[in-house]
Parts: sequence; C-alpha cells; structure tokens
Amino acid sequence: MSRYVLKRLGWLILTTIVVAIIIFTIMYFVPGDPGRLILGNTATEEEILAYDEALGLNDPFLIQLGRYLKETFLEFDLGTSYVFKVPVMQEFAERLPRTLILGLLCMVISAAIGIPLGVVCALKRNSLVDHGAMILAMAGVSVPQFWLALLMVILFSVNLGWLPPYGFGGIEYWIMPVIAGSVGGIAMNARQTRSAVLETIRADFVTTARAKGLSENKVIYKHMLPNAMIPIINLLGGTFAMAIGGTVVIESVFQFPGIGTYMLTGINQRDYPVVRSCILILAIFSTVAMLLVDLVYAYLDPRIKAQYVNASSKKLKKKEGESK
Amino acid sequence: MSEFLTVKDLVVEYSSGGQHVQAVNGVSFTLGKGETLGLVGETGAGKTTIAKAILQILPDPPAKVLGGEILLEGKDVLKMPEKELLTIRGSKISMIFQDPMTALNPIMSVGSQITEVILLHNKISEKEAMERACGMLEMVGIPRTRYVEYPHQFSGGMKQRVVIAMALACEPELLLADEPTTALDVTIQAQVLEMMNDLREKLQTTMILITHDLGVVAETCNKVAIVYAGHIMESGTKEDIFLSPMHPYTHGLFGSIPKLDDKSKRLSPIPGLPPDPTNLPEGCPFAPRCPKATAACRQGVTPNVEVTPGHFVRCGELVQKEVD
Repeated sequence: MSRYVLKRLGWLILTTIVVAIIIFTIMYFVPGDPGRLILGNTATEEEILAYDEALGLNDPFLIQLGRYLKETFLEFDLGTSYVFKVPVMQEFAERLPRTLILGLLCMVISAAIGIPLGVVCALKRNSLVDHGAMILAMAGVSVPQFWLALLMVILFSVNLGWLPPYGFGGIEYWIMPVIAGSVGGIAMNARQTRSAVLETIRADFVTTARAKGLSENKVIYKHMLPNAMIPIINLLGGTFAMAIGGTVVIESVFQFPGIGTYMLTGINQRDYPVVRSCILILAIFSTVAMLLVDLVYAYLDPRIKAQYVNASSKKLKKKEGESK
Repeated sequence: MSEFLTVKDLVVEYSSGGQHVQAVNGVSFTLGKGETLGLVGETGAGKTTIAKAILQILPDPPAKVLGGEILLEGKDVLKMPEKELLTIRGSKISMIFQDPMTALNPIMSVGSQITEVILLHNKISEKEAMERACGMLEMVGIPRTRYVEYPHQFSGGMKQRVVIAMALACEPELLLADEPTTALDVTIQAQVLEMMNDLREKLQTTMILITHDLGVVAETCNKVAIVYAGHIMESGTKEDIFLSPMHPYTHGLFGSIPKLDDKSKRLSPIPGLPPDPTNLPEGCPFAPRCPKATAACRQGVTPNVEVTPGHFVRCGELVQKEVD
C-alpha cells in the first residue's frame, strides 16, 4: 500500500510539472504585452521594450520556460507580481488560506447536506419529499453560480440589508459566498447519493442482511450505506476541485480577496507570475484532493485495495526475478 | 408429529407501473418438525416468493401479501410485529440464498458477516462469537484462516458455503434453502446436500428446499410440492410424487428428465411456455399446455382433490374421471 502511495505522489509531482509547462506555454502565446499594459498609453515603444527586456520577456521561449521551471520547482520562487511589485508567495500567504477555507467550507457543507438528503430521498423514494428535493436539486445543478450570487446580493444586501454585498471582514462577509458556492455541490451530492443508495437498496446482500434479523436501521447503516458511499466518496474529490475552481467566480462577485480575485486581476493585467502561480496552486490542490479520495476509496473497498496490493506485489516479484 | 409450519391460502402479488403480477395464488401446505419439503417448479413459478414471504423479507413495494396465513408453531408470522420478527429472522428461521455471487456484502470480511448474525441472536462476547464463526467456516470446509478475507477472494462454490455457514450459524429450526446447489458443480453439490442432511438429523431442522432439480429432491426431501404459476399443482410424500404422480404437469416434469433404463430416444418435454404471470389464464393455469385439458378446465376454480391421504392433486380432469 505504501508503495502505491509513493507511486501516486510521484505522479502528482509529474502532473504538477506538466501543468506548469502548459500554463506557461499558453500564457506565452496569449496576445498582450505586460510592459504596454503597465506603463500605459503614454509610454514610448523604447520604454516598453526596455521594460520587457528587464523582465526577460524578450528571451526565446525555451530559455524563459527553463528559467520559470527552475525558479518554481528548484528555488520555490513563484516570482514577483509585475503590477503590485509584491512577491507572489507573500500574497499567497495571505490569500491562500481564505480560498482554501472557502473551498473546504463549500465542500463540507455540500457533503453534510447533500449526502443525507440523497439518503432520505432514496429511502423515501417516490414520496413527496423525494420529488420536491429532486426538483430543487435539478434546479441547483442547473443554476449558474454567479447568477445565484447576484440574486442573493439583491435580496439580502440591497432589499433586506442583512448582509454586506461585498468585501472581506467578519463572519457576515463569508455567509453569502459560502452559500452561493455550496448550492451546486449540495444538489450534485444529493442526486448522486440518491442513485447510489437506490442501487444498493435492491442488492441481494441487503436482503441477506435483513434475513439475518438485523433491524432496518442496522441494515441501512451497516450494509447499505457503506456500499453506497463508495461512488459518493469518489465524487467528493471532484466536489472539492469544483469548489476550489468555483471560488474564482464566487470571489469576483463578492470581491472576496482570495486566490480567485488575485488570478482575475492577474489575467486582466497580463501579470504572468500571478496567473501562473494561481493556476498551479489550484491544480495542486485538486490533484491532492483526488489522491486523498483515492486513498479513502481503497481503504473502504477491499476489492480496490486488493488491486493495488496485488499490482505492486506482482511488480516486486518481477523485479526480484530480473535481479536473479 | 405436530404441525410446525402451516401455510394457508397464501397470496402474494407484485405490482409495478399499474401491472399486477400474481406470483403466489393461494398456496397451502403443512410441515411437521424435522420434515423436509421440496418446492419444485420452473423458473418464475413463485417458489422464492413463498420462502421470502415466510421470512417476511419481500421487498414492499413492489411485493404485497394479499391474503392467507403463515403459522409458525401456531403464531401467524404475517401478523407479528416487526420487533418479534427480528428475533425470529436469522435465528429460528434462516434462508440460504440462490445467488452466492451477490448474496454477500462485498466490503465486509466473510468471517465478520457470520459473526454478525451470531452476535445478534446470542448473548455472548464478540470473541466467543468469532470463535463460533470460525467453527462454522470449518464445518463447511473453509479453513479458519480465511475468516478475514473478503467475498471477492472466494470462488462461487466457496461463497455458497459461506452463505450456508451464515444461515446455519444460529442453528435455525426452519431452514429455507433457495436453490442452494444450483450454482455449484456436482461434487460440491453432493457435499452440500450431505451437510444439510447431517444438520437435519442432528438438530431436527425443518427444511424447505427450493429447487428445479428432481434428483436433489429425491435425495433429501420427504414431502414434495409441485409449483406452477403460483399454484401448488400436486403435493404429497416423496413416494406419492415419484411413484404415482397424478397431475399432467408432474408427468411432464418427469418426462423431461433423461432416464438410463428408458429405451426411447427422445425426451418428452412439456410443450409451450409458462403463462404470463401478469395475465394468468382463467381456470387451471396449466390448461393451455395440458395434453388432457378439457373445456371445463379453462373456466372456474380447479378443485384440489385428495387422492390418497396427504396426496393432493389440483386437476379438474381427475375429478371428472372419479365422477364417471
């Protein structure tokens, strides 16, 4: 099992490097000139050229790429923002926790509400509760996040005046971003959980459990749900990745000073180090989330665990054979 | 021998999407303690439904017991409160399920699945229960070291043994064996049947053996009921059925088995297919396939005739003959 984890960590590093190369390449070919944007319309052609030269933006692609990779992965230096003149790392130290907390809150809330809701719907299938919840869930999946966020601003800030429309500060600034970010996840989790539970509800081993004389509660919590949870756990990684990605939209609607707003400003200003670092950090969090989910998955399902153990032990044997 | 189990006029119906499937239509039989009844019939005749109704584990919806009585030592199982049923299921009555591939919980070790039922019905420590589960595994020919293994690590035959061990773990007084040997190859089949026979002798277990294999019936049962389209067509002792079968359907079943001492070159199978259970024909359900059917067979209620004490035949033709 530890071999499997190590292997997956290796893949994670490789994925990160590939993501870095892709982002760098895309940013390199995206039209727009940081020098021109920063110095403004009054700057002369020579000034812009000198500015770009100083940033090393006139070097050939491969040299720039090499320098970027070396700085990022060997020196752990994400560069300095062209616009704010502040090291990206310093900005991250402040903004990253906010985005992570926002993303995690969204994920936890979508799981904590969505999964039990799905279970209830499956157990009371075709009831009024089930139909009502599923119609709402369908709406929740379909509604765009930014639209929901804007409607909430209109209702709670403009009309009712309960919550601040944007900005950052105490808990009141967190409420709307978290709700807007969770609705989609709640709906998705509820729908997936419902179908996963419905699949196990008719399973033969559930009948076996009933025939043993287990109470209905025990049948549900000991036999049905653990089996139904397997595909749901798999989904949670996706929920987290989605929540983290979704923060870009949510943060910009609420002017929430996290990674998302930072990235958007970076994109508008062609602030290459900022954009590259933001995307890279989001990619790392998504892959780590997926890895964690896969490990939980293997822990829960002995069939999958067996595959990993067998795969690595087979390779071990093969290697032993080769060394002889 | 006192009546241990009496089933009287049991009617079970499945309904889905406005369609009603009459799975069991007025089935009655009695069993004394230690007796073994063979329920024989084609696929879909309602045999499994009868067994599940006795254990009250029919999925509701879609299944519904519409009428009848199931008396276990004089008490009606159908009227028992759920709490009382829970104490009976798995301890007094247990069931061996048809498909060992899906009857076990894939994410629980086989040992703990057996321990679960032992702990549930006995006031003993977990350690003692585990010890007993190991003993059960050994009894069905599985080494105790495999206690911790998961269902996917077992072959079909081994899984069936686990299912049997689980059903026998609490020494049930009534064992419902739903095609316990169908998934097994012939050598294992013989072992399993022998095991069940031993058990019956040791514990005086009453057994209902569901099968379509008349050979298995001959080996283990002392009473036989021939089921067709949810009706018992003929019932009696093993000798009644095997030596002097009366019903045309029973004749048909025997005609479908190859015999070593028979000189004829071809088997004589029953023509046609079992009737559509959503739309049973009026009168005798076997009439459309029956070589001796008369116009009278196709209408009204078919009489159930006791030809010799304990030997019942549901056939209008026979009554006609007796009148003549």
